[in-house]
Amino acid sequence: MKTRCFSIILSTLLLWLTGCKEPVIDEGVLPTVVPTSVDANGGTWRTIILKSASDIAVPQPIAITSDDYKKEFSDVKNGVLAATPEQNTAVNYWAAGGVIRWNQIARQLVAKYNIAPGYDYATGQITPASAGNPYAGPPFAARVYALLSVAQYDALVVAWRAKYQYNRPSLEQQGVVSRVPILNVPSYPSEDAAIAEASCQMLAYFFPNEASWLKAKATEHKQSRLWAGANVPSDLKAGEDLATTLMAKVIDRAKSDRFTEAIDPANSWQTALAKAPYDQKWKSIELPERAPVLPLAGKVKTWYDSTAIFRTLPAIPPATTSTEFQKALSEVRDISNTRTRDQWRIASYWDNGPSTYSLAGLWNFLVEDLIRQEGQNELRTARTYALLNRTMQDATTASWQTMYTYFVPRPSQIDPEIKTATPIPNAPGYVADRAAVSTAAAIILAYLFPDETTHLNAQAAEATLSGLYGGTQFRFDTDEGAKLGAAIGQLAVTGATADGAK
Amino acid sequence: MRFIVISFITLTMLTCALETHAQGLIDGFMRGQRKASLAILGSQETYDTYYINTTETKNPNLGTVTTQALTVVGTYGLGYDLDLIVAAPYVRTQASAGYFPKQEGFQDVSGTLRWEAYDYKFGKTKLSWQFAVGYSMPMQNYVNDALVAIGRGSQNLDGRTLLHFKAPNFFITGQYGYIRRGQVKLDHIVNTYDPSQLNPNSGLKVNVPDVTELIIRAGIVTKIVNIDVWGQRQTPHSSGTDIGPGIPFPTNAVGFTRVGATGYLRLLKQFGLVAGYSATLDGRNIGKSTQINGGLVIGHWTANN
Repeated sequence: MKTRCFSIILSTLLLWLTGCKEPVIDEGVLPTVVPTSVDANGGTWRTIILKSASDIAVPQPIAITSDDYKKEFSDVKNGVLAATPEQNTAVNYWAAGGVIRWNQIARQLVAKYNIAPGYDYATGQITPASAGNPYAGPPFAARVYALLSVAQYDALVVAWRAKYQYNRPSLEQQGVVSRVPILNVPSYPSEDAAIAEASCQMLAYFFPNEASWLKAKATEHKQSRLWAGANVPSDLKAGEDLATTLMAKVIDRAKSDRFTEAIDPANSWQTALAKAPYDQKWKSIELPERAPVLPLAGKVKTWYDSTAIFRTLPAIPPATTSTEFQKALSEVRDISNTRTRDQWRIASYWDNGPSTYSLAGLWNFLVEDLIRQEGQNELRTARTYALLNRTMQDATTASWQTMYTYFVPRPSQIDPEIKTATPIPNAPGYVADRAAVSTAAAIILAYLFPDETTHLNAQAAEATLSGLYGGTQFRFDTDEGAKLGAAIGQLAVTGATADGAK
Repeated sequence: MRFIVISFITLTMLTCALETHAQGLIDGFMRGQRKASLAILGSQETYDTYYINTTETKNPNLGTVTTQALTVVGTYGLGYDLDLIVAAPYVRTQASAGYFPKQEGFQDVSGTLRWEAYDYKFGKTKLSWQFAVGYSMPMQNYVNDALVAIGRGSQNLDGRTLLHFKAPNFFITGQYGYIRRGQVKLDHIVNTYDPSQLNPNSGLKVNVPDVTELIIRAGIVTKIVNIDVWGQRQTPHSSGTDIGPGIPFPTNAVGFTRVGATGYLRLLKQFGLVAGYSATLDGRNIGKSTQINGGLVIGHWTANN
């Protein structure tokens, strides 16, 4: 009897064990943001690519007393009650915030395309980069996030201006019970349609192979606002149209920011390497050797005052023959020999190498929680991201400019016995872009979220040291990177104080 | 005798640096009530080729990976039909080229209960049917998300059943098991591309794919010497990733087919030596390794009674 029981228990256990299916990666569920403020003066905020919100004229909406509107309205009102489960899933998905969702989509695409062309270990082949399949390395990623956020922000400022100019009452005020919480702002033009259209066009510019997938996402986003009971079709149409007008200007800016030349098809970086003033020059220590990544990304047009940024570029680091350098080298060697588990964790956390969102994307991810905690509305979320991402792109650009001016080697090139916790980036080491980008990000975020200052500074300090802990940077790389980042962060704060948002 | 077999499987399994933990600890020989034994085993495993998914790959930035392990295995008969088996390995692994640091430390401690549910005797031969449940967990927070690592850091639950046939000088054992691997915490936020991810708001935790395992072992048994050959096939049960840039190593789907041979020499009544060799025939996201091992066995040796 006893044995029978035991065998039943065992068999059950075995069945239970084999019966479970598990996903590879665990997903959390996003709570719906309940915005705390409508920012009624949002239409007056300073735009970034447009001179002002009035550059784009949004046509006068039809009156809510007209028959056409009444028809639209009753269709939406009845549609809310008849929504299918799939429609409800879409409603809930997009209710987490259009700006946040498109930011997530951008991060996913960056991760997908963030694989360096070159030697493929799986096949032994050299894979070339193509325009349709771009390599989303750090400068590319920083630019995707920056331009996407800027497009969303300008589109929303225009939308906000028209909302309070025409004051078409929200559907909720007209008696529609919506499926999800809706921000209490005038419904015309739809902010969601503006975000969807701007984001879709921006991302399709970066990732042309994804265009049809992006288009489907954007359509679902717009439609979800009808199913939710938030907008009528004429609200959507106006949002879409203003975004289309805007995107022509944004894509012009993207085409003229000198990023296309950053790939350096003529290999001019080799001339720069020969002229570099440092006494021992960087070379690729991978087998086989690879050309550096986007060597001319330091020439890309900056968002903030480029003269001010380039004034802060660091001076040449101590020569390899100096005692200062030897001290820095032995520090990295000591860390490599006695690396603690926590140092390894920090190095790994901030690594964000190939196939990830990249470092700028990690900060975009981290700021999501702050935005949600504060209950920022779409416009303010877009402003937060636009400030953060412009700052980070400028910090990346300035770091790249420094790296490809001095061509300072990585520690393991000088001493191959230095083993690293994370892969060694195939680029010169001075300055640490991780230090510059993270310090700049923390400064602008501390301005936007003052209660979080202590935590943000701690994160930036960790990010700054992560390369040293990992064994891929010297202390002078990280220190000077942090200084550069701090200067750019301050420029961004100065810009933010004057943009009209309180 | 039982003991040896145990030791060998243990050795084989515990020291596979990349993915295998303390599974396969058990053989078909029951210990006997209140009888105990202890083994100390050393092994060395090397590979210069590994599988990305199932494609063989050499990486000049890695060279040859060498993994050495020292494992202590204790067994004790809690009852005439119930044994407890405990094992703990210390592992060191390093690559000959590139910049991957050496990793070293205590890996996963495991405990297994084995129960002989039924046995049938036909003259001098015996057929028995057994069940085992095991649990293993990391002894320390070692680095788990690296190509050169001592383990994957998951807690594992292992359930298996064994069919064991023994004649006076011959045995054959077949076993089939399922190893449920728990989640592991990475050092970084999961931020790789996953097309099925509706909500890419991932934290630090990832799932380690479960595996099923089939082992068949047969050998000759005498009072002084015993020799056996074995084959083992581990197959990922749940979906997993393949080795690739940025892909967390613990989420990789790992499988392999290995064959090996082991020998035991009894020197004194309660003292013997073991040695073995194994090779990987095919695999998935694991090194194509060969392994040699050897060790001492002390304690109650009850072969052939």
